[in-house]
Amino acid sequence: MDQVFAYPAKWWNEAVVVWLVVAVVIYAVTAVPGLYFIMKYRFRPGEREVGDHEKHGHWGLEALWTIVPTIVVLVLATYSFAVFKKQRTVPEDAMTLKVTGFMWGWQVEYLDDKGNTVKTVVTAYNPTSYEAPEDQKIVVPAGKPIKVLLTSMDVVHAFYVMPAKIVEDAVPGRITYLWFQINKPGEYWVFCREFCGTGHSHMFAKLKVVPPDQFAAWLKGETDFAKQPDEIKENI
Amino acid sequence: MREAVAVPWFSAGIKEWVFTTDHKKIGILYFTTGLIAFIIAGIFGMLIRFEQNAPGFQVVSPNFYNYLLTGHGAVMLLWWAIAAHIGGFGNFLLPLMIGARDVAFPRLNALSYWAFFGATVIVLLTLIPGNHIKMMWTGYPPYAAHPDAGVTAYYVFAIHLLGVSSIATAVNFITTYIRMRAPGIGFWNTNLYVHSLIAANVIQLIGVPSLAGAVTMLFLDRYLGTNFFNPNLGGDPLLYQNVFWFYSHPAVYVMIIPIFGFYSEILSTFSRKPIFGYKSMVFAIWGIAVISFIVWIHHMFTSGVPDWARVLMSYTTVLVAVPTGVKIFNWVATLHGGAIILRSPMLYALGGIFMFLIGGLTGIPNAMVAIDLGVHDSLFVVGHFHYVLGMALTLGIFGAVIFWFPKVVGKMYPENFGKISFWLVFIGANIFYFTQMIVGFIGMPRRYPDYPPIPEWVTLNQISTVGALILGLGVLVFLIGIIKGLTSGEEANDNPWQSPSLEWRVKSPAPVDNFGEKPPQVEPDYHPYKYGAPPTF
Repeated sequence: MDQVFAYPAKWWNEAVVVWLVVAVVIYAVTAVPGLYFIMKYRFRPGEREVGDHEKHGHWGLEALWTIVPTIVVLVLATYSFAVFKKQRTVPEDAMTLKVTGFMWGWQVEYLDDKGNTVKTVVTAYNPTSYEAPEDQKIVVPAGKPIKVLLTSMDVVHAFYVMPAKIVEDAVPGRITYLWFQINKPGEYWVFCREFCGTGHSHMFAKLKVVPPDQFAAWLKGETDFAKQPDEIKENI
Repeated sequence: MREAVAVPWFSAGIKEWVFTTDHKKIGILYFTTGLIAFIIAGIFGMLIRFEQNAPGFQVVSPNFYNYLLTGHGAVMLLWWAIAAHIGGFGNFLLPLMIGARDVAFPRLNALSYWAFFGATVIVLLTLIPGNHIKMMWTGYPPYAAHPDAGVTAYYVFAIHLLGVSSIATAVNFITTYIRMRAPGIGFWNTNLYVHSLIAANVIQLIGVPSLAGAVTMLFLDRYLGTNFFNPNLGGDPLLYQNVFWFYSHPAVYVMIIPIFGFYSEILSTFSRKPIFGYKSMVFAIWGIAVISFIVWIHHMFTSGVPDWARVLMSYTTVLVAVPTGVKIFNWVATLHGGAIILRSPMLYALGGIFMFLIGGLTGIPNAMVAIDLGVHDSLFVVGHFHYVLGMALTLGIFGAVIFWFPKVVGKMYPENFGKISFWLVFIGANIFYFTQMIVGFIGMPRRYPDYPPIPEWVTLNQISTVGALILGLGVLVFLIGIIKGLTSGEEANDNPWQSPSLEWRVKSPAPVDNFGEKPPQVEPDYHPYKYGAPPTF
């Protein structure tokens, strides 16, 4: 198995490191001289009573701290553009999930090769707990890119795959997408990150990442389609 | 109402306060109303903090929590971060700083305040349990048009009245600045606070109609059955977001640019030297104002807008860092070679700049679209904007209150209260919001009253609460200081900080007719930052 834990989290983490380095450097070149000046150029009776009036500007310096930051931020934005392209380009071999948000849960549809829904998982709204029954967990295979097509039945929601560090809004009347790949089996959090009302903080899902063979078995296994439409109705 | 103008504010009766057209009294009314709103919204904020302290619902129900969030956001932003200082300090200082008798349209100015007062009444009405509004200050449809959101009309009408108030103020201030400067006050020797105030009001004038349009469509959708934002009948929820953020992003600069003005005034005074790079400061202010209108998509980086729009606005957003960076570097350079006096306004200004520096640097990941895809709508964003807006702004206002207290009240703000409150607010805010940024970075979404008991989240939220308590205590000390200053403050002379700026050349407290019948005479080489004689305070 791949050493990388999850995509696009890998690139996200790298981008964060780049930003942190730049931020710490900018912080150092700004705050350190600032603190030093505050200590050094203190008002002292009889010694230092007025400021240096000729120091009221220096075009060279001002040009310097206009041009250098411009270059730095443009480089950062371009780097972010390159990462963004990878975050938004779904790998060819991705598996597609159709995810529909509603107040307050998710309906996840698994598709076959022809695009027909073969299995549906619906998370029921539970206002008191963060436990999810086994049949309400979103099961996905490890090590395989997953493309999520998002929309919403009612208000704007957002599908945040916490281990993959990626979020996209689910907007009624639109289909948006994101993709992720998690290589390590386990249970992870999915949260709604766009404010959607009373149950917003309990609009979560458990993402169960299993080895591919287990996933295939789960997908073929028994489903309980019959009771799900009622559950959805209850919740909206 | 000529006779009304003859009474100074401290001996004015109720009738005078209601019918006044005096810019100083209106300024005091604005600031007092804003400060009361700040206290209420601050209590809301503390309740939010206590609820988030631990997983589960301990303090409030989710519905009441959503009301608290909506109220805290809307009131802090529109009452405290805009009206309190633009209406309060702007009104009080603008005519004094440019040597005018009053603003250009005094009665329009009174209308501004009373429209704002109407909005305040509406927002206070939502305190009644059945009237809670829960759509957040952003009011995104379709949720805001959904019954779960509460009485959307309160939100819409409050925004409308605030809009009337803001537009009238903007027209007034811009006209005043262009037409009513005393002889000798030109573009290159007005105070940076005035420049910032005018830039902020130009943004208001262009932007506010857009917000009013957005909420009007929301109102029509909710109550009259139109379908601007209803996707089932051809509307589009993203239309609202675009129109809303077209104003509401520039609005954050409306909030913060005048605070930059406060920093400049205070820094220069307590360094006893001119502000460094005056001209580049002016260019930076206007640069921020222009760029502010072409960056709004960064609030919608994950909302399903096309990828090209996200990348484009990612580039424009990072460019905002350039003029703000110029300002920060210039402030640091102002300290170089100064004779720095660490009085409490100076501490507040320096602390505010420090907060803004952290806030600016943590703004970069929100601007870099690649990182934003992971942190959008997380508590990281909340921590970030509480650094830039919340704290940089509040520290700036507190500093300004202490700084201009003698001119408004005629007494000094007690220095020990200023110092103690500064350190409490500064330390508390950093503990509070820095941990909030970390917990957001590791994934915690914003606007969550309850969250799963992930150990790191719980620990960080508890540290955050400790910070909030210290911050709250600091604000309390500051407020007690105001009362103490009003009742038993030391008598102030006309120019306690020995500033060459024009507003200090009138008596303390500022007389009703400002400079008298004739405009003030300024020396030919007048400049507000020309510090001469050694200070005696």
